[in-house]
Amino acid sequence: MVKSTSKDAQDLFHSLHSAYTATPTNLKIIDLYVCFAVFTALIQVAYMALVGSFPFNSFLSGVLSCIGTAVLAVCLRIQVNKENKEFKDLAPERAFADFVLCNLVLHLVIINFLG
Amino acid sequence: VDNPTDRRVLVLLDDLSLKSSHSIFFNTLKSRGFDLDFKLAEDSKLALQRYGQYLYDGLIIFAPSTERFGGSLDSKSIADFVDSGRDLILSADTAASDLIRGIATECGVDFDEDSSAMVIDHTSFSVSDVDGDHTLIAADDLVKSDVILGKTKIEAPVLFRGVAHSLNPTNNLVLKVLSASPSAYSANPSSKLSSPPQLTGSSISLVSVMQARNNARVVISGSVQLFSDRLIRSGVQKAGSPNQYEKSGNEQFVTELSKWVFHERGHLKAGNLVHHRVGETDEPAIYRIKDDLEFSVEIYEWSGKSWEPYVANDVQVQFYMMSPYVLKTLSTDKKGLFHTSFKVPDVYGVFQFKVEYEKLGYTTLSLSKQIPVRPYRHNEYERFIPTAYPYYGACFTTMAGFFVFSFVYLYHK
Repeated sequence: MVKSTSKDAQDLFHSLHSAYTATPTNLKIIDLYVCFAVFTALIQVAYMALVGSFPFNSFLSGVLSCIGTAVLAVCLRIQVNKENKEFKDLAPERAFADFVLCNLVLHLVIINFLG
Repeated sequence: VDNPTDRRVLVLLDDLSLKSSHSIFFNTLKSRGFDLDFKLAEDSKLALQRYGQYLYDGLIIFAPSTERFGGSLDSKSIADFVDSGRDLILSADTAASDLIRGIATECGVDFDEDSSAMVIDHTSFSVSDVDGDHTLIAADDLVKSDVILGKTKIEAPVLFRGVAHSLNPTNNLVLKVLSASPSAYSANPSSKLSSPPQLTGSSISLVSVMQARNNARVVISGSVQLFSDRLIRSGVQKAGSPNQYEKSGNEQFVTELSKWVFHERGHLKAGNLVHHRVGETDEPAIYRIKDDLEFSVEIYEWSGKSWEPYVANDVQVQFYMMSPYVLKTLSTDKKGLFHTSFKVPDVYGVFQFKVEYEKLGYTTLSLSKQIPVRPYRHNEYERFIPTAYPYYGACFTTMAGFFVFSFVYLYHK
Protein backbone atom coordinates (compact mmCIF):
# COMPACT_ATOMS: atom_id res chain seq x y z
CA MET A 1 0.00 0.00 0.00
CA VAL A 2 1.33 3.39 -0.94
CA LYS A 3 1.55 5.76 1.96
CA SER A 4 -0.22 9.06 1.36
CA THR A 5 1.65 12.20 2.33
CA SER A 6 0.88 15.91 2.44
CA LYS A 7 2.74 16.08 -0.85
CA ASP A 8 -0.02 14.02 -2.46
CA ALA A 9 -2.67 16.36 -1.14
CA GLN A 10 -0.75 19.36 -2.42
CA ASP A 11 -0.41 17.74 -5.83
CA LEU A 12 -4.13 17.07 -5.82
CA PHE A 13 -4.98 20.68 -5.02
CA HIS A 14 -2.49 21.88 -7.64
CA SER A 15 -4.06 19.78 -10.35
CA LEU A 16 -7.54 20.84 -9.28
CA HIS A 17 -6.50 24.48 -9.26
CA SER A 18 -4.82 24.32 -12.68
CA ALA A 19 -7.84 22.52 -14.11
CA TYR A 20 -10.18 25.13 -12.66
CA THR A 21 -8.12 28.04 -13.96
CA ALA A 22 -8.93 26.80 -17.43
CA THR A 23 -12.64 27.23 -16.76
CA PRO A 24 -14.24 30.15 -18.66
CA THR A 25 -14.80 33.32 -16.61
CA ASN A 26 -18.57 33.34 -17.00
CA LEU A 27 -18.79 29.90 -15.34
CA LYS A 28 -16.53 31.12 -12.54
CA ILE A 29 -18.90 34.02 -11.89
CA ILE A 30 -21.81 31.57 -11.66
CA ASP A 31 -19.80 29.41 -9.23
CA LEU A 32 -19.16 32.41 -7.02
CA TYR A 33 -22.86 33.27 -7.09
CA VAL A 34 -23.81 29.69 -6.07
CA CYS A 35 -21.34 29.79 -3.20
CA PHE A 36 -22.83 33.07 -2.00
CA ALA A 37 -26.37 31.61 -2.05
CA VAL A 38 -25.42 28.39 -0.24
CA PHE A 39 -23.45 30.37 2.36
CA THR A 40 -26.46 32.63 3.07
CA ALA A 41 -28.68 29.55 3.45
CA LEU A 42 -26.26 27.96 5.92
CA ILE A 43 -26.18 31.13 8.03
CA GLN A 44 -29.98 31.07 8.26
CA VAL A 45 -30.08 27.40 9.25
CA ALA A 46 -27.57 28.10 12.01
CA TYR A 47 -29.64 31.11 13.14
CA MET A 48 -32.80 29.00 13.22
CA ALA A 49 -31.04 26.35 15.33
CA LEU A 50 -30.15 29.18 17.72
CA VAL A 51 -33.48 31.02 18.11
CA GLY A 52 -36.04 28.29 17.30
CA SER A 53 -38.32 27.67 14.37
CA PHE A 54 -40.75 30.57 14.97
CA PRO A 55 -41.69 32.19 12.58
CA PHE A 56 -41.38 29.12 10.45
CA ASN A 57 -42.81 30.59 7.24
CA SER A 58 -40.22 33.38 7.26
CA PHE A 59 -37.44 30.87 7.84
CA LEU A 60 -38.71 28.69 4.99
CA SER A 61 -38.92 31.58 2.55
CA GLY A 62 -35.49 32.87 3.54
CA VAL A 63 -33.80 29.51 3.12
CA LEU A 64 -35.79 28.50 0.04
CA SER A 65 -34.96 31.77 -1.71
CA CYS A 66 -31.26 30.92 -1.30
CA ILE A 67 -31.65 27.26 -2.29
CA GLY A 68 -33.85 28.22 -5.26
CA THR A 69 -31.34 30.81 -6.40
CA ALA A 70 -28.53 28.27 -6.16
CA VAL A 71 -30.50 25.63 -8.08
CA LEU A 72 -31.43 28.10 -10.86
CA ALA A 73 -27.82 29.26 -11.09
CA VAL A 74 -26.60 25.66 -11.41
CA CYS A 75 -29.16 25.10 -14.19
CA LEU A 76 -27.88 28.20 -15.97
CA ARG A 77 -24.32 26.90 -15.60
CA ILE A 78 -25.24 23.58 -17.20
CA GLN A 79 -26.93 25.31 -20.13
CA VAL A 80 -24.20 27.83 -20.90
CA ASN A 81 -21.29 25.39 -20.53
CA LYS A 82 -19.72 24.99 -24.02
CA GLU A 83 -18.46 21.47 -23.20
CA ASN A 84 -21.98 20.31 -22.46
CA LYS A 85 -23.10 18.82 -25.78
CA GLU A 86 -26.70 18.34 -24.69
CA PHE A 87 -27.46 22.08 -24.87
CA LYS A 88 -25.24 23.00 -27.84
CA ASP A 89 -28.34 24.09 -29.82
CA LEU A 90 -29.53 26.41 -27.05
CA ALA A 91 -28.31 29.99 -27.30
CA PRO A 92 -26.68 31.32 -24.10
CA GLU A 93 -28.86 34.42 -24.37
CA ARG A 94 -31.97 32.24 -24.32
CA ALA A 95 -30.62 30.35 -21.28
CA PHE A 96 -30.01 33.61 -19.44
CA ALA A 97 -33.52 34.89 -20.27
CA ASP A 98 -35.01 31.67 -18.82
CA PHE A 99 -32.86 32.13 -15.73
CA VAL A 100 -34.10 35.72 -15.20
CA LEU A 101 -37.76 34.72 -15.67
CA CYS A 102 -37.46 31.83 -13.19
CA ASN A 103 -35.78 34.11 -10.66
CA LEU A 104 -38.57 36.68 -10.96
CA VAL A 105 -41.20 34.00 -10.33
CA LEU A 106 -39.19 32.59 -7.41
CA HIS A 107 -38.85 35.94 -5.68
CA LEU A 108 -42.47 36.79 -6.23
CA VAL A 109 -43.44 33.60 -4.37
CA ILE A 110 -40.84 34.21 -1.65
CA ILE A 111 -42.07 37.74 -0.95
CA ASN A 112 -45.63 36.44 -0.65
CA PHE A 113 -44.61 33.75 1.77
CA LEU A 114 -42.21 35.86 3.79
CA GLY A 115 -44.49 37.68 6.12
CA VAL B 1 -93.30 33.11 40.06
CA ASP B 2 -92.17 29.69 39.00
CA ASN B 3 -92.44 27.34 41.93
CA PRO B 4 -91.11 23.81 41.56
CA THR B 5 -92.72 22.58 44.79
CA ASP B 6 -95.74 20.34 44.33
CA ARG B 7 -99.03 21.72 45.61
CA ARG B 8 -101.78 19.25 44.87
CA VAL B 9 -101.15 15.73 46.15
CA LEU B 10 -103.35 12.69 45.73
CA VAL B 11 -103.16 10.22 48.60
CA LEU B 12 -104.32 6.70 47.80
CA LEU B 13 -105.16 4.55 50.81
CA ASP B 14 -106.42 0.99 51.00
CA ASP B 15 -108.18 1.82 54.26
CA LEU B 16 -109.40 5.27 55.29
CA SER B 17 -108.32 4.58 58.88
CA LEU B 18 -104.75 5.28 57.66
CA LYS B 19 -105.80 8.91 57.48
CA SER B 20 -105.97 9.05 61.26
CA SER B 21 -103.29 6.49 62.06
CA HIS B 22 -100.77 8.45 59.93
CA SER B 23 -102.14 11.90 60.82
CA ILE B 24 -98.82 13.37 62.00
CA PHE B 25 -97.21 12.81 58.59
CA PHE B 26 -100.23 14.12 56.69
CA ASN B 27 -100.56 17.12 59.00
CA THR B 28 -96.94 18.16 58.49
CA LEU B 29 -97.61 18.09 54.75
CA LYS B 30 -100.78 20.18 55.17
CA SER B 31 -99.01 22.66 57.42
CA ARG B 32 -96.42 23.16 54.69
CA GLY B 33 -99.17 24.16 52.31
CA PHE B 34 -99.90 20.93 50.47
CA ASP B 35 -103.40 20.28 49.29
CA LEU B 36 -104.01 16.62 50.13
CA ASP B 37 -106.79 14.73 48.40
CA PHE B 38 -107.49 11.43 50.19
CA LYS B 39 -109.03 8.69 48.10
CA LEU B 40 -109.57 4.99 48.53
CA ALA B 41 -107.41 3.07 46.10
CA GLU B 42 -110.50 1.20 44.88
CA ASP B 43 -112.48 4.41 44.32
CA SER B 44 -114.10 4.01 40.93
CA LYS B 45 -113.79 7.74 40.18
CA LEU B 46 -110.01 7.79 40.44
CA ALA B 47 -108.26 9.79 37.73
CA LEU B 48 -104.93 11.54 37.53
CA GLN B 49 -105.84 13.51 34.44
CA ARG B 50 -108.84 15.36 33.19
CA TYR B 51 -109.01 16.66 29.61
CA GLY B 52 -105.30 15.85 29.21
CA GLN B 53 -104.32 17.99 32.20
CA TYR B 54 -102.88 16.46 35.34
CA LEU B 55 -105.01 17.15 38.39
CA TYR B 56 -102.15 16.52 40.82
CA ASP B 57 -98.44 17.33 41.17
CA GLY B 58 -97.67 14.50 43.54
CA LEU B 59 -98.95 11.07 44.44
CA ILE B 60 -98.72 9.16 47.70
CA ILE B 61 -99.65 5.47 47.52
CA PHE B 62 -100.19 3.94 50.94
CA ALA B 63 -102.15 1.00 49.62
CA PRO B 64 -99.85 -2.03 49.77
CA SER B 65 -102.56 -4.66 49.45
CA THR B 66 -104.46 -3.12 46.52
CA GLU B 67 -104.60 -5.55 43.59
CA ARG B 68 -106.30 -3.11 41.22
CA PHE B 69 -106.84 0.62 41.39
CA GLY B 70 -110.29 1.96 40.72
CA GLY B 71 -111.16 4.25 37.87
CA SER B 72 -108.66 4.82 35.09
CA LEU B 73 -105.59 4.31 37.26
CA ASP B 74 -103.15 1.49 36.57
CA SER B 75 -99.41 0.96 36.76
CA LYS B 76 -98.90 2.43 33.30
CA SER B 77 -100.72 5.65 34.11
CA ILE B 78 -98.59 5.97 37.26
CA ALA B 79 -95.44 5.47 35.17
CA ASP B 80 -96.73 8.16 32.79
CA PHE B 81 -97.35 10.41 35.79
CA VAL B 82 -93.67 10.08 36.80
CA ASP B 83 -92.56 10.45 33.19
CA SER B 84 -94.32 13.80 33.11
CA GLY B 85 -91.96 15.00 35.86
CA ARG B 86 -94.30 14.52 38.80
CA ASP B 87 -93.41 12.93 42.11
CA LEU B 88 -94.41 9.74 43.87
CA ILE B 89 -94.19 8.23 47.34
CA LEU B 90 -94.81 4.51 47.14
CA SER B 91 -95.04 2.37 50.21
CA ALA B 92 -95.27 -1.38 50.23
CA ASP B 93 -95.62 -3.72 53.16
CA THR B 94 -95.63 -7.42 53.81
CA ALA B 95 -97.94 -9.16 51.38
CA ALA B 96 -97.63 -6.30 48.91
CA SER B 97 -99.72 -6.84 45.81
CA ASP B 98 -98.29 -7.50 42.35
CA LEU B 99 -99.57 -4.08 41.30
CA ILE B 100 -97.43 -2.30 43.91
CA ARG B 101 -94.44 -4.55 43.13
CA GLY B 102 -94.86 -3.78 39.44
CA ILE B 103 -94.78 -0.01 40.02
CA ALA B 104 -91.69 -0.43 42.22
CA THR B 105 -89.98 -2.51 39.51
CA GLU B 106 -90.64 0.31 37.04
CA CYS B 107 -88.71 2.56 39.41
CA GLY B 108 -85.71 0.20 39.65
CA VAL B 109 -86.57 -1.46 42.94
CA ASP B 110 -87.35 -5.16 43.48
CA PHE B 111 -89.27 -6.26 46.57
CA ASP B 112 -88.60 -9.68 48.06
CA GLU B 113 -90.57 -12.18 45.99
CA ASP B 114 -91.68 -14.11 49.06
CA SER B 115 -94.89 -12.32 50.01
CA SER B 116 -94.70 -13.40 53.67
CA ALA B 117 -91.10 -12.24 54.13
CA MET B 118 -90.15 -9.37 56.42
CA VAL B 119 -86.86 -7.77 57.35
CA ILE B 120 -85.50 -9.55 60.42
CA ASP B 121 -82.46 -8.37 62.34
CA HIS B 122 -81.33 -10.12 65.50
CA THR B 123 -78.81 -7.43 66.43
CA SER B 124 -80.28 -4.09 65.33
CA PHE B 125 -83.87 -4.60 66.49
CA SER B 126 -85.67 -2.15 68.75
CA VAL B 127 -85.96 -3.22 72.39
CA SER B 128 -89.61 -2.13 72.32
CA ASP B 129 -90.31 -4.99 69.90
CA VAL B 130 -92.78 -6.86 72.07
CA ASP B 131 -93.43 -9.75 69.71
CA GLY B 132 -89.86 -10.94 70.10
CA ASP B 133 -89.47 -11.85 66.42
CA HIS B 134 -87.04 -8.95 65.86
CA THR B 135 -88.97 -7.49 62.92
CA LEU B 136 -89.13 -3.96 64.39
CA ILE B 137 -85.82 -2.69 63.06
CA ALA B 138 -83.99 0.28 64.57
CA ALA B 139 -82.13 1.41 61.48
CA ASP B 140 -79.51 4.13 61.50
CA ASP B 141 -77.62 3.52 58.26
CA LEU B 142 -78.77 6.68 56.44
CA VAL B 143 -77.42 8.11 53.23
CA LYS B 144 -74.98 10.95 53.92
CA SER B 145 -76.65 13.70 51.97
CA ASP B 146 -77.70 17.03 53.44
CA VAL B 147 -79.89 17.75 50.47
CA ILE B 148 -81.98 14.58 50.77
CA LEU B 149 -82.23 14.33 54.57
CA GLY B 150 -81.70 17.93 55.66
CA LYS B 151 -78.82 19.66 57.39
CA THR B 152 -79.80 18.52 60.89
CA LYS B 153 -78.44 15.08 61.61
CA ILE B 154 -81.06 12.46 62.46
CA GLU B 155 -79.80 11.27 65.88
CA ALA B 156 -82.36 8.65 66.87
CA PRO B 157 -82.64 5.41 64.88
CA VAL B 158 -85.54 5.08 62.45
CA LEU B 159 -88.08 2.39 63.30
CA PHE B 160 -89.04 0.13 60.42
CA ARG B 161 -91.27 -2.90 60.13
CA GLY B 162 -91.86 -4.19 56.66
CA VAL B 163 -90.57 -5.83 53.55
CA ALA B 164 -87.06 -5.77 52.14
CA HIS B 165 -86.15 -4.59 48.66
CA SER B 166 -83.02 -4.51 46.58
CA LEU B 167 -81.94 -2.06 43.93
CA ASN B 168 -81.78 -3.03 40.30
CA PRO B 169 -78.01 -2.90 39.62
CA THR B 170 -78.57 -1.72 36.04
CA ASN B 171 -80.51 1.33 37.23
CA ASN B 172 -78.10 4.08 38.24
CA LEU B 173 -80.79 6.60 39.12
CA VAL B 174 -81.97 4.81 42.25
CA LEU B 175 -80.15 4.83 45.59
CA LYS B 176 -80.61 3.60 49.14
CA VAL B 177 -81.58 6.20 51.70
CA LEU B 178 -82.09 3.85 54.62
CA SER B 179 -80.16 0.57 54.51
CA ALA B 180 -80.45 -2.45 56.75
CA SER B 181 -77.55 -3.45 58.99
CA PRO B 182 -75.14 -6.19 57.83
CA SER B 183 -76.88 -8.69 60.13
CA ALA B 184 -80.34 -8.23 58.60
CA TYR B 185 -82.06 -10.74 56.35
CA SER B 186 -85.40 -11.13 54.69
CA ALA B 187 -87.54 -14.14 55.64
CA ASN B 188 -90.90 -15.20 57.01
CA PRO B 189 -90.61 -14.55 60.78
CA SER B 190 -93.21 -17.15 61.74
CA SER B 191 -91.68 -20.16 60.03
CA LYS B 192 -88.37 -21.92 60.32
CA LEU B 193 -85.73 -21.02 57.68
CA SER B 194 -85.40 -24.01 55.34
CA SER B 195 -83.10 -22.38 52.78
CA PRO B 196 -80.70 -19.40 52.95
CA PRO B 197 -82.56 -16.09 52.57
CA GLN B 198 -82.28 -14.39 49.18
CA LEU B 199 -81.76 -10.89 50.52
CA THR B 200 -79.24 -10.41 53.30
CA GLY B 201 -77.15 -7.74 54.98
CA SER B 202 -76.70 -4.19 53.86
CA SER B 203 -77.70 -5.00 50.29
CA ILE B 204 -81.22 -4.83 51.73
CA SER B 205 -82.70 -1.40 51.27
CA LEU B 206 -85.46 -0.27 53.59
CA VAL B 207 -86.17 3.08 51.91
CA SER B 208 -84.89 4.09 48.49
CA VAL B 209 -85.20 7.15 46.33
CA MET B 210 -85.04 7.57 42.59
CA GLN B 211 -84.60 10.78 40.64
CA ALA B 212 -85.51 10.29 37.01
CA ARG B 213 -83.75 12.05 34.13
CA ASN B 214 -86.61 14.54 33.96
CA ASN B 215 -86.03 15.32 37.67
CA ALA B 216 -89.19 13.52 38.78
CA ARG B 217 -88.59 12.15 42.27
CA VAL B 218 -89.78 8.86 43.74
CA VAL B 219 -89.54 7.51 47.30
CA ILE B 220 -90.04 3.80 47.77
CA SER B 221 -90.46 2.47 51.27
CA GLY B 222 -90.82 -1.14 52.34
CA SER B 223 -93.04 -0.11 55.23
CA VAL B 224 -96.22 1.93 55.55
CA GLN B 225 -95.81 1.82 59.33
CA LEU B 226 -92.64 3.91 59.00
CA PHE B 227 -94.92 6.91 58.43
CA SER B 228 -97.40 5.99 61.19
CA ASP B 229 -98.13 8.04 64.29
CA ARG B 230 -97.38 5.01 66.45
CA LEU B 231 -93.77 4.64 65.26
CA ILE B 232 -93.27 8.44 65.08
CA ARG B 233 -94.33 8.85 68.72
CA SER B 234 -92.59 5.71 69.92
CA GLY B 235 -89.40 5.92 71.93
CA VAL B 236 -86.51 3.95 70.62
CA GLN B 237 -83.57 2.04 72.01
CA LYS B 238 -81.49 -0.08 69.72
CA ALA B 239 -80.69 -3.51 71.15
CA GLY B 240 -77.26 -3.55 72.75
CA SER B 241 -76.98 0.23 72.70
CA PRO B 242 -77.06 2.37 75.88
CA ASN B 243 -78.61 5.33 74.02
CA GLN B 244 -82.29 5.70 74.75
CA TYR B 245 -84.32 8.19 72.75
CA GLU B 246 -87.66 9.70 73.79
CA LYS B 247 -88.76 9.79 70.20
CA SER B 248 -87.73 7.78 67.19
CA GLY B 249 -86.06 9.41 64.19
CA ASN B 250 -89.10 8.63 62.04
CA GLU B 251 -90.74 12.05 62.18
CA GLN B 252 -87.61 13.91 61.14
CA PHE B 253 -86.82 11.25 58.54
CA VAL B 254 -90.23 11.25 56.81
CA THR B 255 -90.56 15.05 57.03
CA GLU B 256 -87.16 15.72 55.50
CA LEU B 257 -87.64 13.02 52.89
CA SER B 258 -91.04 14.45 51.90
CA LYS B 259 -89.46 17.91 51.57
CA TRP B 260 -86.96 16.43 49.14
CA VAL B 261 -89.41 14.34 47.13
CA PHE B 262 -91.87 17.22 46.67
CA HIS B 263 -89.08 19.57 45.51
CA GLU B 264 -88.96 21.81 48.55
CA ARG B 265 -85.22 21.23 48.57
CA GLY B 266 -82.46 20.35 46.15
CA HIS B 267 -84.11 21.90 43.11
CA LEU B 268 -81.74 23.95 40.99
CA LYS B 269 -82.42 26.24 38.10
CA ALA B 270 -79.82 27.72 35.82
CA GLY B 271 -79.99 30.40 33.24
CA ASN B 272 -78.54 33.60 31.91
CA LEU B 273 -75.67 31.81 30.22
CA VAL B 274 -73.42 34.67 29.12
CA HIS B 275 -70.09 34.73 27.30
CA HIS B 276 -68.04 37.48 25.73
CA ARG B 277 -64.46 38.42 24.90
CA VAL B 278 -62.36 39.76 27.75
CA GLY B 279 -62.85 43.53 27.89
CA GLU B 280 -66.10 43.47 25.93
CA THR B 281 -69.69 43.10 27.08
CA ASP B 282 -71.57 41.98 23.98
CA GLU B 283 -71.85 38.36 23.02
CA PRO B 284 -70.03 37.84 19.70
CA ALA B 285 -71.54 35.80 16.89
CA ILE B 286 -68.23 33.99 16.37
CA TYR B 287 -64.94 33.57 18.19
CA ARG B 288 -61.46 33.42 16.72
CA ILE B 289 -58.98 30.76 17.84
CA LYS B 290 -56.91 31.87 20.85
CA ASP B 291 -59.43 34.55 21.82
CA ASP B 292 -59.64 35.16 25.57
CA LEU B 293 -63.23 34.90 26.71
CA GLU B 294 -65.27 35.21 29.88
CA PHE B 295 -68.11 32.84 30.66
CA SER B 296 -70.77 33.07 33.33
CA VAL B 297 -73.98 31.31 34.27
CA GLU B 298 -76.43 31.90 37.09
CA ILE B 299 -77.61 29.02 39.27
CA TYR B 300 -80.27 29.31 41.96
CA GLU B 301 -81.58 26.81 44.44
CA TRP B 302 -85.21 26.59 45.50
CA SER B 303 -85.47 26.87 49.30
CA GLY B 304 -89.17 25.98 49.47
CA LYS B 305 -90.17 29.65 49.55
CA SER B 306 -87.80 31.54 47.27
CA TRP B 307 -84.92 31.12 44.89
CA GLU B 308 -81.65 31.44 46.79
CA PRO B 309 -78.18 31.70 45.26
CA TYR B 310 -76.61 28.29 44.88
CA VAL B 311 -73.14 27.99 46.38
CA ALA B 312 -70.83 25.20 45.26
CA ASN B 313 -67.26 24.82 44.08
CA ASP B 314 -67.80 21.93 41.70
CA VAL B 315 -69.76 23.42 38.79
CA GLN B 316 -67.86 23.01 35.56
CA VAL B 317 -68.19 24.32 32.03
CA GLN B 318 -67.09 22.43 28.96
CA PHE B 319 -66.02 24.00 25.68
CA TYR B 320 -67.17 21.10 23.62
CA MET B 321 -66.87 19.84 20.06
CA MET B 322 -67.33 16.04 19.96
CA SER B 323 -65.28 16.01 23.19
CA PRO B 324 -64.48 18.72 25.71
CA TYR B 325 -61.49 20.79 24.60
CA VAL B 326 -61.69 22.95 27.72
CA LEU B 327 -63.07 21.81 31.08
CA LYS B 328 -63.03 24.50 33.74
CA THR B 329 -64.39 24.67 37.24
CA LEU B 330 -66.44 27.81 37.75
CA SER B 331 -65.88 30.10 40.68
CA THR B 332 -68.87 31.67 42.37
CA ASP B 333 -69.50 35.11 43.82
CA LYS B 334 -71.93 33.46 46.31
CA LYS B 335 -74.77 35.50 44.79
CA GLY B 336 -75.67 32.85 42.26
CA LEU B 337 -73.24 33.91 39.55
CA PHE B 338 -70.70 31.32 38.42
CA HIS B 339 -67.95 32.59 36.17
CA THR B 340 -64.60 31.75 34.65
CA SER B 341 -62.40 32.86 31.80
CA PHE B 342 -60.31 30.83 29.39
CA LYS B 343 -58.59 30.92 26.04
CA VAL B 344 -60.33 29.45 23.00
CA PRO B 345 -58.29 26.41 21.89
CA ASP B 346 -56.20 26.47 18.71
CA VAL B 347 -58.89 24.48 16.86
CA TYR B 348 -61.67 25.90 14.73
CA GLY B 349 -65.15 24.48 14.22
CA VAL B 350 -68.57 24.65 15.82
CA PHE B 351 -68.23 24.48 19.60
CA GLN B 352 -70.71 24.43 22.46
CA PHE B 353 -70.59 25.86 25.94
CA LYS B 354 -71.93 23.03 28.08
CA VAL B 355 -72.86 22.95 31.74
CA GLU B 356 -73.74 19.42 32.83
CA TYR B 357 -74.27 19.30 36.56
CA GLU B 358 -75.29 16.10 38.29
CA LYS B 359 -74.96 16.02 42.03
CA LEU B 360 -76.47 13.56 44.49
CA GLY B 361 -79.89 14.77 45.58
CA TYR B 362 -79.96 17.83 43.34
CA THR B 363 -81.89 18.14 40.13
CA THR B 364 -79.78 17.67 37.04
CA LEU B 365 -78.73 20.77 35.14
CA SER B 366 -78.01 20.52 31.46
CA LEU B 367 -77.40 23.68 29.46
CA SER B 368 -75.64 24.27 26.20
CA LYS B 369 -75.10 27.11 23.80
CA GLN B 370 -73.57 26.81 20.36
CA ILE B 371 -70.80 29.08 19.12
CA PRO B 372 -68.57 28.82 16.03
CA VAL B 373 -64.81 29.37 16.18
CA ARG B 374 -62.91 30.61 13.11
CA PRO B 375 -59.19 30.56 12.29
CA TYR B 376 -57.08 33.71 11.96
CA ARG B 377 -57.94 35.93 9.03
CA HIS B 378 -55.16 36.46 6.52
CA ASN B 379 -54.39 39.92 7.87
CA GLU B 380 -54.51 38.88 11.52
CA TYR B 381 -51.15 37.16 11.52
CA GLU B 382 -48.29 38.96 13.23
CA ARG B 383 -46.03 40.97 10.93
CA PHE B 384 -42.45 42.26 11.05
CA ILE B 385 -41.41 39.98 13.87
CA PRO B 386 -37.93 41.01 15.11
CA THR B 387 -36.82 37.35 15.20
CA ALA B 388 -37.51 37.08 11.49
CA TYR B 389 -35.37 40.07 10.41
CA PRO B 390 -32.37 37.86 9.40
CA TYR B 391 -34.72 35.89 7.10
CA TYR B 392 -36.08 39.10 5.57
CA GLY B 393 -32.47 40.25 5.17
CA ALA B 394 -31.49 36.99 3.49
CA CYS B 395 -34.34 37.28 0.99
CA PHE B 396 -33.44 40.82 0.00
CA THR B 397 -29.73 39.97 -0.08
CA THR B 398 -30.41 37.16 -2.55
CA MET B 399 -32.45 39.55 -4.66
CA ALA B 400 -29.69 42.11 -4.62
CA GLY B 401 -27.23 39.31 -5.33
CA PHE B 402 -29.32 38.28 -8.34
CA PHE B 403 -29.24 41.86 -9.65
CA VAL B 404 -25.48 42.23 -9.15
CA PHE B 405 -24.85 38.80 -10.65
CA SER B 406 -26.90 39.59 -13.74
CA PHE B 407 -25.00 42.83 -14.20
CA VAL B 408 -21.58 41.25 -13.79
CA TYR B 409 -22.50 38.22 -15.92
CA LEU B 410 -23.72 40.35 -18.81
CA TYR B 411 -20.89 42.91 -18.83
CA HIS B 412 -17.82 40.94 -17.73
CA LYS B 413 -16.23 40.86 -21.20
